[in-house]
Amino acid sequence: MKKILLSFLIISMTITSVFASGQEEATKDDGKIGGTLKIWSFTNEINTMAIAYQEAHPEVNVEYTMIPMTNGEYQTKIKAAISSRDVPDVMALEAAFVRDYVESDFLLPLDDLLPKAKEIEVYPFVLDVGSFDGTTKAYAYQATPGAVFYRRSLAKKYLGTDDPVKVQEMLKDFDSFKKVAKTLHDKSNGDVFAVCSSGDFTNLFYANRETPWVIDGKLNIDKKVNEMIKIAKEFRDNKWEAQATQWGQGWFAGMNDSLVDAAGNEKQIFCYFLPTWGLPYVLMPNATQKVVDNSTIGETTVGDWACINGPMPYYWGGTWMGVMDDAKNIATAKDFIEFSTLNENTLKNWALGKYTNAYLKNIDPSIGDTQSQGAGDFVCSQKVVREITSEFDNAETSEFLAGQNSYSGFAKAAPAISLKLMQGTDDAIQRSLNDPLNNYVEGKLTFNECIEAFKDQVRTAVPDIIVK
Amino acid sequence: MSFGKSSINKNSSGYFFVMPFVLIFLTFGLWPLINTFRLSFTDTILMSRTFKYVGIKNFFIIFNDPSFLKAFKNTAYIWVLNFIPQIGLALLFSVWFTSKRLKLKGVGMFRTLFYLPNILMPAAIAALFASLFDFYGPANQILVRLGVLPEAMMFFRNSSFTQIMVIYIQWFMWFGQTIIIIMAGMTSISGDFYASAMIDGANSGQMFRKITLPMLRPVMVYTLVTSLVGGMQMFDIPFMLTDGRGAPNGSIMTANVFMYMKYSSSKGHIGLASTVGVIIFVITSVVALGIFKILRDPDEAAAKKKRS
Repeated sequence: MKKILLSFLIISMTITSVFASGQEEATKDDGKIGGTLKIWSFTNEINTMAIAYQEAHPEVNVEYTMIPMTNGEYQTKIKAAISSRDVPDVMALEAAFVRDYVESDFLLPLDDLLPKAKEIEVYPFVLDVGSFDGTTKAYAYQATPGAVFYRRSLAKKYLGTDDPVKVQEMLKDFDSFKKVAKTLHDKSNGDVFAVCSSGDFTNLFYANRETPWVIDGKLNIDKKVNEMIKIAKEFRDNKWEAQATQWGQGWFAGMNDSLVDAAGNEKQIFCYFLPTWGLPYVLMPNATQKVVDNSTIGETTVGDWACINGPMPYYWGGTWMGVMDDAKNIATAKDFIEFSTLNENTLKNWALGKYTNAYLKNIDPSIGDTQSQGAGDFVCSQKVVREITSEFDNAETSEFLAGQNSYSGFAKAAPAISLKLMQGTDDAIQRSLNDPLNNYVEGKLTFNECIEAFKDQVRTAVPDIIVK
Repeated sequence: MSFGKSSINKNSSGYFFVMPFVLIFLTFGLWPLINTFRLSFTDTILMSRTFKYVGIKNFFIIFNDPSFLKAFKNTAYIWVLNFIPQIGLALLFSVWFTSKRLKLKGVGMFRTLFYLPNILMPAAIAALFASLFDFYGPANQILVRLGVLPEAMMFFRNSSFTQIMVIYIQWFMWFGQTIIIIMAGMTSISGDFYASAMIDGANSGQMFRKITLPMLRPVMVYTLVTSLVGGMQMFDIPFMLTDGRGAPNGSIMTANVFMYMKYSSSKGHIGLASTVGVIIFVITSVVALGIFKILRDPDEAAAKKKRS
């Protein structure tokens, strides 16, 4: 009995000690720039900004923490930070989860930076994502319109021209796109696929929905989603799509012509749907011949690509920055966000590749040999974009695209984008459709079964939504 | 009790030595468990600083979740199908390895070889199998070029195949471990039993059934219970093999994957995830107690009853 009493005592003591909340640290905000600035992000990209910021403000001591996002570590870390109140001053937020925070009360309103944003003409959709209920809480240095990258040699061989203007006309909507896919398939005896995976064009349809995923707390399936499911099936049934998995080995293999089917026949992919960051980070590194154990894999396809807007305007990804309500150094945090997202000079330096490793090392010699920002990222300001587009006529990206200036292509695509429908639960809902969609295109489910399976997945993955 | 009062050892240094374990257990073992029970009655989410007690509402939500039954059925199915061959083969190999008649050479090497998969990282093994059986992966290329398959197959769109894959990986990672434990159990059985059985003219089958199996009972119970606890918590292989949500068709969504989905949902539903954790805890405890009851030595149980 004594033992039971004792253990009960210990347990209740532990419970009370955990329930008793710790003392809150007072937020220091005297409006002065200085002290320590804590930044959390999921890549090293913003660290380049942080180092550049220290050049302008040597009195600020920047503490940069990179937490990977591979299996959601970053998201877990920042969610846990909310309740522990041990938060960074500046927090990077990726497109997949930025709305969760913008729609919450955990981000400080940053409306006083809006005039500056107006002045440099930030793309409205970039501000829309960072705003909720009339308050702007997050800003981004980049805009991420999507494009279609196609193979010039295949266009010339099967469509008769590789001229981006004419090819854009042939791919102006999905009915035309289907016709091109059929031509490619028939003329090549099935050796050329229009796209590599059915995941490739899902972003287009999601970005062009007319109604949001959640209305009054209930799941709403837009007609564009139904259209996407049917088109994915049509592409699979007609063998216009290579059955690869997006980000899988087959998907990358198509970029340097090393795609080989199980029987050993060489296959080619006509186009990839990728956004601004997809060109330097995904397509260009994978479009070259690889050497593994003294044998070569694939062919270099540099110079055989072209960039067009494609059948629908869309966006994909992007990184925003916000200040958390418990931040200790709010004035400096705001100043940093203004410096990195709304300062014309910074944005120009960023896009034109001024922040080389040597340049950054000059400011902070301890950064290592890889920290740098190459030229070509598409920035958020229309004013800056107008001023620097011509600088990309002879850049590495235009060499890759046989002389085409991708920057001007993105500049044309960007104004058509709307992100007004973006909600915090989008990513979880869209991921719930992957498995049912794959089953449907494989012919394992009927269309209605696919929708029912999708609803079940949403019920499991997003418990706060009512699914009728 | 027959001990006199004076024979009680008042020396407290023993408590001092067990203190580190007790403290660590209370902080990292007991407290999380109690906290999980507490959280399962709240609507705690990571994206909110406040919470309230909601009674057993979470349990209703979980029981009504379309994936709930599926997740627990999958867990049971995958565990049973991996455990039967695991214990069967482990018994067979252990009998061979410890047999005084066979006197096999290189037992140590085999034991190490069988154990090796266990020290590999489950995530790495899952990633390896995922790319082996990719649509453009080597499995398809070999099978099509040998003429086994007419054309490439999407392996991971087939529910049964994916389940068997998980069962296979679990089996292949854990059976070396089971061999080591069972062999240890077998070598601890006194050789006198076998010697006298041989004098009485028993054959190997009889010796296995009448001596080895009964003497191995405590080791078997241990293996069964630890494997059950591990099986109920099966997570990394099914999580890494496909999309982390049990695709295709939720066929490899185990109870822990289901729990993780609640936790990693956009707002981080700690309360609901804890509820799933409590259900897993209750099921594991009940089944483990059942195993103890069924497999305990009937003579010893009867003796215990008489004593009390």
